[in-house]
Amino acid sequence: MTVMRLLFCRQSPVVKGIMSISISVQAKDFDLGAEYDRLRSIGDGLGAIVTFTGLVRDFESRPEEPQYSRKLTTLTLQHYPEMTERLLSDIVEQALTRWSLLGVTVIHRIGSLSPNDQIVLVGVASTHRHDAFQAAEFVMDYLKTRATFWKKAHVDGQEQWLDAKHSDANAAARWDDIKHD
Amino acid sequence: MLNFLFFGRLGDFASGIDKAIPYHIDLATPLAIRNKLAEQHPLLTKELSEPQVLVSVNKMIVKWDHPLFDGDEIAFLPPVTGG
Repeated sequence: MTVMRLLFCRQSPVVKGIMSISISVQAKDFDLGAEYDRLRSIGDGLGAIVTFTGLVRDFESRPEEPQYSRKLTTLTLQHYPEMTERLLSDIVEQALTRWSLLGVTVIHRIGSLSPNDQIVLVGVASTHRHDAFQAAEFVMDYLKTRATFWKKAHVDGQEQWLDAKHSDANAAARWDDIKHD
Repeated sequence: MLNFLFFGRLGDFASGIDKAIPYHIDLATPLAIRNKLAEQHPLLTKELSEPQVLVSVNKMIVKWDHPLFDGDEIAFLPPVTGG
């Protein structure tokens, strides 16, 4: 199984200074505290850190069937090695052109996960909270609709590939209409 | 050779097909491959024909009439569901 972590610093296109960018697709769990500390160590100019952690739910529901809810026992994540990392990098690059950021961390897990397991982390560091909040939400919305991951749920003893949700597509589409100044 | 990858639910429909075939001028686009698959794998072709399904060549999203060359990796991508 391919595990790749892209970790690099480069000059910010928006703010004066060096950015810390870390992108990882991995089977192993991640340490939220350690990732937060790494962003916090950026130091100069840092005024805000926003982190989002996604967890595996213990049920599977369908938006089009409000009454449908089944107990989920395992969630398996498949991805397209190399392409996924490149797409995540593209998403982060887009965020860097829209907001003034000092650091971005994206970690997405693959393989077999259980309810309550951590599945994804997006961390954004910036000078002001607005940029961090906006960029974190943008990265998550685009990750969910553009990065090559596929979920298979194990529900009631059966396996089923999950369908993409219209709500995720709508959440990502709203950024298309926003021109950042 | 042309090498194929089928992700997500497409993998279930493609379990019985060859994932590598010799390059041939008659199969020089992803669309031609999809049409060729229809002869023996109509259910898979029906899935591949869904408008949300994307195709990539050498890990770059392309149009279905993108030209193929010997050694290319063609991946069929259903709508993504990460995060």
